[in-house]
Amino acid sequence: MLTTIEKIIFIILALTSAGFTFHGFKVIIDSIRRGRPAPELKNVPLSLVKAAITVLFQRTIFKARKGLSAIHMGLFFGLITYAFVNLFDALEGLVPGFDLIYGGKHIPNAPTGLVNAFNLIADVMSIFLLIAITVFFARRFIAKDKALNYRENVLLNPKVKAGGQARDSLIVDVFVVMHVIAHVLSQAYRLTDGADPFMPFASFLNSIFGASQTGVHVAWWVSIGWVMFIIPYLSRSKHTHFFMSPINLGLAKQNPRGQLDPAIPLTMIEGQKFDPGAKHIHDLSWKRVLDSYACVQCNRCQDVCPANFYGRPLSPSALEVNKRYLLKDATFGSHPDRLLLPLTETVISPEAVWSCTTCYACVRVCPVGNEPMADIVDIRRRMLIDGYEIDSGVQNALQSLATNGNWMSKGKRLRGRWAKEMQFPVKNATEEPVEHLWFVGDTASFDERVIPNTKLVAQLFHQGGLDFGILYQSESNAGNDVRRVGEEGLFEQLVEQNMEAFGKAQFKQIVTTDPHSFNTLKNEYPQFGGTFEVKHYTVTLLKLIEEGKLTVKNKLANYKVTFHDPCYLGRYNGGFTAPRKLLELLGVEFVEMPRNCENSFCCGAGGGQIWMGKVAPGERPAENRIKEALSTFGEGAGDKTQLFIVTCPKDMIMYSDAVKTTGNEGRIEVRDIIQLVAEAVGVDEVVAAESISA
Amino acid sequence: MNIVVAIKHIPSIADDLPVKGNNVDFDSVDFVLNEWDEHSIEQAVLIKEAVGGTVTVIGVDLIGELDNALHLALAKGADKVAKITADDPAADSHTQAKWLAEAVKGMGADMVFAGVQASNDIDGQIGAMIAAYLDMPYIGGTSAIEVSGSAATVSKEFPGGVGMKYSITLPFVAGVQSAPKPPRYAPVSKVRQMAQTATVEKIAPTGEASSGLAFKKMAPPVATGHAEMIEGSSKEVAAKIVELLKSKGLA
Amino acid sequence: MSNDVFVITEHMDGKFSDVSFELVGKAKELAKAWGGQAVAVVVGSGIASNVFASDSTIHIDDAALSHFNPEAYGKVVEALVKERSPRLVMFGWTVTGMDMAAWLSARLGVACAAYVKNIGADLTMSCAAYGGKLTAEVAPEGGMAIAACLAGSFPVEAGQGSTAAVTMASPVDLNSLKMKFVEATKPAGGDVDITSQTKLVSIGRGIGGKENMELAEELAQKLGAVVSASRPVVDAGWLPRTRQVGKSGLKVKPKLYLMLGISGAPEHLEGMQSAELIIAVNTDKKAPIFNVAHYGATADLFEVAEAMVELL
Repeated sequence: MLTTIEKIIFIILALTSAGFTFHGFKVIIDSIRRGRPAPELKNVPLSLVKAAITVLFQRTIFKARKGLSAIHMGLFFGLITYAFVNLFDALEGLVPGFDLIYGGKHIPNAPTGLVNAFNLIADVMSIFLLIAITVFFARRFIAKDKALNYRENVLLNPKVKAGGQARDSLIVDVFVVMHVIAHVLSQAYRLTDGADPFMPFASFLNSIFGASQTGVHVAWWVSIGWVMFIIPYLSRSKHTHFFMSPINLGLAKQNPRGQLDPAIPLTMIEGQKFDPGAKHIHDLSWKRVLDSYACVQCNRCQDVCPANFYGRPLSPSALEVNKRYLLKDATFGSHPDRLLLPLTETVISPEAVWSCTTCYACVRVCPVGNEPMADIVDIRRRMLIDGYEIDSGVQNALQSLATNGNWMSKGKRLRGRWAKEMQFPVKNATEEPVEHLWFVGDTASFDERVIPNTKLVAQLFHQGGLDFGILYQSESNAGNDVRRVGEEGLFEQLVEQNMEAFGKAQFKQIVTTDPHSFNTLKNEYPQFGGTFEVKHYTVTLLKLIEEGKLTVKNKLANYKVTFHDPCYLGRYNGGFTAPRKLLELLGVEFVEMPRNCENSFCCGAGGGQIWMGKVAPGERPAENRIKEALSTFGEGAGDKTQLFIVTCPKDMIMYSDAVKTTGNEGRIEVRDIIQLVAEAVGVDEVVAAESISA
Repeated sequence: MNIVVAIKHIPSIADDLPVKGNNVDFDSVDFVLNEWDEHSIEQAVLIKEAVGGTVTVIGVDLIGELDNALHLALAKGADKVAKITADDPAADSHTQAKWLAEAVKGMGADMVFAGVQASNDIDGQIGAMIAAYLDMPYIGGTSAIEVSGSAATVSKEFPGGVGMKYSITLPFVAGVQSAPKPPRYAPVSKVRQMAQTATVEKIAPTGEASSGLAFKKMAPPVATGHAEMIEGSSKEVAAKIVELLKSKGLA
Repeated sequence: MSNDVFVITEHMDGKFSDVSFELVGKAKELAKAWGGQAVAVVVGSGIASNVFASDSTIHIDDAALSHFNPEAYGKVVEALVKERSPRLVMFGWTVTGMDMAAWLSARLGVACAAYVKNIGADLTMSCAAYGGKLTAEVAPEGGMAIAACLAGSFPVEAGQGSTAAVTMASPVDLNSLKMKFVEATKPAGGDVDITSQTKLVSIGRGIGGKENMELAEELAQKLGAVVSASRPVVDAGWLPRTRQVGKSGLKVKPKLYLMLGISGAPEHLEGMQSAELIIAVNTDKKAPIFNVAHYGATADLFEVAEAMVELL
């Protein structure tokens, strides 16, 4: 179809475009490779295949925003189709007499059926693409969907602030519209013999514009010319997403969710010494440098971020976009020196770093397998090493953890004091063998508000004939939040102390009351040689009831309850069923909050937030959660008492406070599930009285 | 600037303190760094950072567990650490001060800092006594110390936020109430690194002093009176307090 | 050695602090039992020193002593004590007394007890050691002793009087001091004076976070009170230094002292124990404050404060 001159121009253009594209991706790959070693990935080809299937079915995006996700799916299939469309367009240009119209009748021995099928798909997809892109365009530029914006207080690269992303979006929107229309027109102008039934859209345009050789040439050049421009452009915009997100998904974290990457890579490179954590962008692992290229700033992470909800200057998405712009300025731009600027000046503000609750919601929801939370922990790690002045509350907690093994400035010997107030002896697991080693945790051991519940757990274990013991003063904080606050050295010290205590004890499995301890004991202690069977007390209680060792005597039909999944039990470790099963057995009326299980909303206490001395203004996540519970209950529970059920000592504190601060006392009560089990099973009166007065 | 910080390892008051005979049962308590010593170390490091010099932290090792506190000091910026090996958990402030003063004598200190007090200063604080034994002036309750040349400007805190500034010719001894900035946090990895690499100088105790006090009894305080306890839930407590205040015309 | 009891008094801005009167009162009692004299020692310039009920008052007056200077004051007291060798020298365990008591003990080789809250006729001293968790009873092995006493341990009234002072020149040369007074800095003005308040809501470490400060303020407002605090709260920067009650803070004597989350370290107690009505709310039922407060409750201060705000 093309004239010789046109062909020469095309080839020169194609080569130039390929050159820029190659350069673009080389720069990106080099930049990714400068990152630190990431934890070793196993069976990468299989992971990539799995990722390809995931991408093909667009599985990960449907975790949130279902409607928009469907549109995204249309766009995705449209663009995949257009990859082939463009290939054939190029052939039509270069190979004389080659075209696909009318079932490819000009091509000798063409598989007519196949060509017609392709033509139909391409034609229909063109319409889908135009619809999808119009929706996305309208969403951003007409409806101005707030979900695409960042809070004023979020640190943003100046270019992002100046609208860099909107510009990228606009360019791609315009490209898609022009490209699709030009392509369909180039086909329409070819239809010299009238409508092709397998190209309804093109035929429709043909009925308006007719056939024209000049038209074919012009439309072809517009369509393909755009591609020549857009492909290299993509490597320099947020639409690296097109290529990088499937790769990123294929290379995503394989370790358990609850296992943080080490502060210093385990894979050492000869002659290279790593400081713990991350100060500069290439202190991050290569995988997390790659994250920034996979991110398209859909902001789903921001939607689910409790810190962002709370008005804190944290947006996981902003972190990723800032990372990419920093890299872009350094690699494509003329600011390589910026790579040596601290991340806390370029990608995330210190205040944002210290706002993260490490709830994992951002990582869980991310369709492309990004881990912004892990970056934050790495940044915290280095800030601590570099002597950054941390919040005084956090500092007090850490200092107490280092000296007392708990964050509450309590003496070690006071840890088991509650146990001595029980009516029966609570075994010391370091002195006599037990079947279940109960790892009590700091809050449950020391906090006067929670101790009554701790005693109830002991009482019910006792009644259920469970052979259990505690470590008394040999227990130290498990270190889950210490690690997430970035104090890796202290975490290791606590692990060593606990491992020493475990070494002194004889037990078959560990049971915990605290989901945070549960997480690190289960997922992180194995890295330190501590491979134990670890259970959450909801599982242990359920078993005691199912085996008939505890009997539900009173069904609790007078309660209407909802259940809050603690991050470290639920999202991190999938402990969704045991508490729900327990509630079912207790006979309460159970309603599920909209945000439940994987999508549970953090109470705001994790990742060291509960230690913070300074508390920001605004509606706190826990307060929002209480409101969510109340709206779930709706009006009129009748004469039933409305309960908010928790299975984490920290939740007990966070939500009890939130009920008060939102002025909802009398409407909803926070109870640990143990209180309900105790009520249903029946316990010793003394213990019961104490738990109620608390 | 050569600054020596004398620290005190004391029984932790975070726990219950068991008594044995007429003193604390030292075998059943944990020893921790005196809380004001964190401020004196911080003050010393701040001066070093401002004008240069060396910070030496020294303490009496009462139960053989002082190393951790010394490593912590190193991680916070001290340059040298030393311990006087005493192995006598009951050593009183006078004894410790004397040993410390003897050890500090040869160090050519421009300033000696100590925590303004410690919870077990039954016979007084070591800072003031070190000053007496070294024949240096002593000033306690400091909130800021700045050095220029051969003199220091020292702010001392008085009740109600009143401060007084003194100019003191070096050398002198200060009992630090607080450093101008809150004591920094030393990451455990740094402390552990110090534990592996640093050397703690061991000094044998020399000199003798005594508080001159005989311990006749040690016991939890006898409640001369005990508050009338208001029982009930928090709401009931609040109601009763309000009622009480109203009955006394205070609300 | 005589049977006299020396009280090293302290003053600021021309006013003696309460602890000086307390000690003079106690000194009189002891001196009487021992057949000696209770001697008030005033070191300073430009102050009316005839205010004590002491058996005699010695006023060392020198321009160099017009402001507290640990070195100068210490040397003066040392010379005086050396010369008169009283049986007991009493200091306040205060920002000034703390600079001299232990120093003097080491200088003279005389026994010294700190945190003293009572002294028996046999010179046995009770000390509030270990943050008030233990009381140590100690006796000097020699006949002579120095006692650094916690403020608030003895009644003020017994020490008030009008004994005329014998004014003396400094027994030591004050011209070659290494320590020189430069200036006094007052707290930034504008804040309320907690010492003149009739009602205080005082908060301690137990308040936990800054957000609860607002609650304390709200409660205080409803009560017509002002918020004061213990040292850690002020150190954390949640309240200005001018609101601090206790040794390094201010001594208060309000009609109502409502304590939320203060466990009652001796340093704090000395600043507030003469309040007329002390009510303490603390989660630790063993907190020493319950031995001092008139009413107490083991409850969550947050919950109690919330509920009180609603009721008031």
